[in-house]
Amino acid sequence: MKPRLVKSQREMEGRFEDVWVLVDEEDEVETWPDDAELGIVGSPTIRQDGPVRASGAARYTVDVQLPGMLHALVLRAPLARCRVTALDVDAARAIAGVRAAIGPDAPLTIEGESPLTAEPAWAGDPIAVVAADTPEAAVAGIAALAATFEPLAPLGLEAGLAEQRFTEEPRENVRGEPDAALEGADVRVELTFETPAHVQSPLEPHAAVARWEGDTLTAWVSTQGMFDARRELARRFALAPEQVRVISEYIGGGFGAKQGAGVEAVIAAELARATGRPVRLALGRHEEQVVGGRRSWTRQTVTLGARRDGTLEAIELAAVVDMGVGGWVFPVAEPALSLYACPNVRTMVFPVRTSLRAQNAFRAPGVVEGVTVLEQAIDDLAAELGIDPLDLRRRNHVDRDQASGLPYSSKRLLDCYDRAAELAGWESRAALREPQPDGLLRGMGCATQIWWGGGGPPAHATVRLDAEARALVTTGIQDIGTGTLTSARMIAAEELGLPLDRVFARGGDTLPNVYSPVSGGSMTTPAVMPAVRSAAGKVRRILLSLAADVLEIGVADLDLSDGRIRSRDGALDVDVVEVTGKLGNATIDGSGARGPNPDGFRVNTFGCQIAQIAVDPGTGVVTVERVVAVHDVGRIVNPLGASSQAEGGVLQGIGYALSEELVVDPTTGYPVNGHLDDYKVPTIADVPEILVDFVNTPDPNLPNLGAKGLGEPPIVPTAAAIANAFAHATGRRASAIPLTPARVLEALA
Amino acid sequence: MSIEVNGEAHVLDVPPTRRLLAVLRDDLALTGTKHGCGEGACGACAVLLDGLPVASCLLPVAAAEGLAVTTIEGLSRDDGSDLQGAFVAEDALQCGFCTPGQIVSATALLASVARPTRDEIRAAMAGNICRCGAYPKIERAILRASGQDVA
Repeated sequence: MKPRLVKSQREMEGRFEDVWVLVDEEDEVETWPDDAELGIVGSPTIRQDGPVRASGAARYTVDVQLPGMLHALVLRAPLARCRVTALDVDAARAIAGVRAAIGPDAPLTIEGESPLTAEPAWAGDPIAVVAADTPEAAVAGIAALAATFEPLAPLGLEAGLAEQRFTEEPRENVRGEPDAALEGADVRVELTFETPAHVQSPLEPHAAVARWEGDTLTAWVSTQGMFDARRELARRFALAPEQVRVISEYIGGGFGAKQGAGVEAVIAAELARATGRPVRLALGRHEEQVVGGRRSWTRQTVTLGARRDGTLEAIELAAVVDMGVGGWVFPVAEPALSLYACPNVRTMVFPVRTSLRAQNAFRAPGVVEGVTVLEQAIDDLAAELGIDPLDLRRRNHVDRDQASGLPYSSKRLLDCYDRAAELAGWESRAALREPQPDGLLRGMGCATQIWWGGGGPPAHATVRLDAEARALVTTGIQDIGTGTLTSARMIAAEELGLPLDRVFARGGDTLPNVYSPVSGGSMTTPAVMPAVRSAAGKVRRILLSLAADVLEIGVADLDLSDGRIRSRDGALDVDVVEVTGKLGNATIDGSGARGPNPDGFRVNTFGCQIAQIAVDPGTGVVTVERVVAVHDVGRIVNPLGASSQAEGGVLQGIGYALSEELVVDPTTGYPVNGHLDDYKVPTIADVPEILVDFVNTPDPNLPNLGAKGLGEPPIVPTAAAIANAFAHATGRRASAIPLTPARVLEALA
Repeated sequence: MSIEVNGEAHVLDVPPTRRLLAVLRDDLALTGTKHGCGEGACGACAVLLDGLPVASCLLPVAAAEGLAVTTIEGLSRDDGSDLQGAFVAEDALQCGFCTPGQIVSATALLASVARPTRDEIRAAMAGNICRCGAYPKIERAILRASGQDVA
């Protein structure tokens, strides 16, 4: 059948949209069965780009140096709200080495709104930019602007709630009859809890380098979405997409913060066009911490109603979210709506406008916040009922998405509970409460993870095999450190029957015009890897067909693995180069497109984490001793990379639970700890024992690979498990995370 | 001003207060050493000064005169060190941005303690932030590179 366009659904972090999908039956490959003997997929495999990253040779955006390149700096609002009363752009232009200075009044060549303003509405809002021959001259240029400001009162959160100053209409979601169900419940518990503003803090800041050659723009951008960046730059500069090339080969972390072109690439390209020189704009650390983005502060009140036997009857959630000046309202209510079977649910989300930058994504945005509070309420309910917390969760297990009524494509959460309990020694949990020889208070807590991660179209890949039997896999992946290019290499090598060292996967460049989605939403593996496998499958079929001709044997009698072509009777066994060597300068090419997910299912990931902690009642210091993380994300492509992802997610969750909190001065509205010495991310000294395991069973309803995404899941339940361990250890529930010594001592007082 | 970097002498016409990191990255195009915070708080800019790890983002280049500066590029010659091989084998890096600094600090550690304990590793490496959270595997890589059991 000919390729055709089919209407399907695309999911990104729980938001569904209709898309047209190119469906080509030739892309369909048989799903590897559970017991398939795979030589590469499923085996721990080192990163393809490990050596280049470990040698310092990897070139990140901030490392790009071009002849004649200028250095750009941004003047930003030092107060959350103010009016610029004076700005001497001419004085900045007069500084030796300054090539351009642009203030908020200057006409720009870009389409749409200027990123510069004379009336800053948030802490760090850009006011003016300077481009100079050297970084020092740029600093001098910014100083010469001699900006003065009239301060305005920042928009506070509590006042905003009282005044109903929202970034968009509050969202209410009701299922069943929550009021009546709460009223009639045998047992009710209520918990109000605050979660902090949590800063992504990638070590490479947001950065871009722009260079024009005639009407074509090349932009090196530290972004998770280079195709989004290309589209945005094309729109801003009124170009066709092919006139813009975005390069994002090495990215020093993103965690959700680096979307699209960003203001950095737009300004760099504007300055490059104005000066005729390449321009680099990289945020400084303080800028990154203040304007790079954050997971929003929330205050949530959860009320649960249940029967004596632990059956949940009602959930009510009211969540206040500090949005800053806008942004997506992330799915903070999703856990209340979907984590457990419950017929009566009401969720209300109040997105309050304040004077911080618009909130943006940070690894499992919304769901981390929601799980952190809901899962503590579930533990309070377990305590109230005298039921083991894991048992209470098992009793309220649900096998379908309750909003849509659709079954999950697969859900092995019960296996996760069992395995996590076994690894953590859950059955001896009570003994931790006995007096400890070291005088510390110990406890163990659990929490459940839910996230999407099913991926979907569009995603494309090509595979090109040359005469030396080397395969080049081309994708649109921007590998932000997750190792997804290594996974693409493994999938292609497995399908092609070639050893790993004959396969190389590339991404990080829009020039080949092979599309992959943003590196976010836990979708790269489930979206792109099936396309890679389909492309490799086409090359394999062509290669075997050529082999049949060359070797004068029926194609059905041939097999290809480990770089050798063998006849099934064992009589023939030759290196694949015997066939490819005859190609000369020709290549065998295949392309693959990700097909749609099957109708009639919701695709989600699940897991359980159990944390053991020790609390020093004298100092208030909390030490995480062990975290067990067991997740169900379908097939695991690379167990080595997967365990790294899980450990990294757990560690960011530990930071969220214990030490990370962006603190805002209420008088100025400006963050007071926008540096890495006062915004405390975990160090190696904070690392507990982390035990990672996966169900590792392919999702039978996900075609091609049966693999789901893993970026988000491991951060989702960590803080909740730690907070529950804290309550277990101390018998007290804190009112907020992070559990700093001050908060702990307050809770214990 | 002249400084010695990775065994090579360089004569530079730069202000003596320019930070060593800026000299390495912008003047000598040795971009393996990273600018993570510019405040000595993250370790991404670590280089060796006569074998001792320093934050090159804080150090005026004049302070490096007469001392041997070793950067990640210097450690990467001849296929790199056992430590770099161990980082790759143990998957002790994710985005890789902090990795040069991690390897520089670990190199200094192994030069002073041939077989460090886990506690010694944690103490020596606590100034090197890895936001991706590769720490468990960084610890394993250092144990492996020092010939110890990585169970």
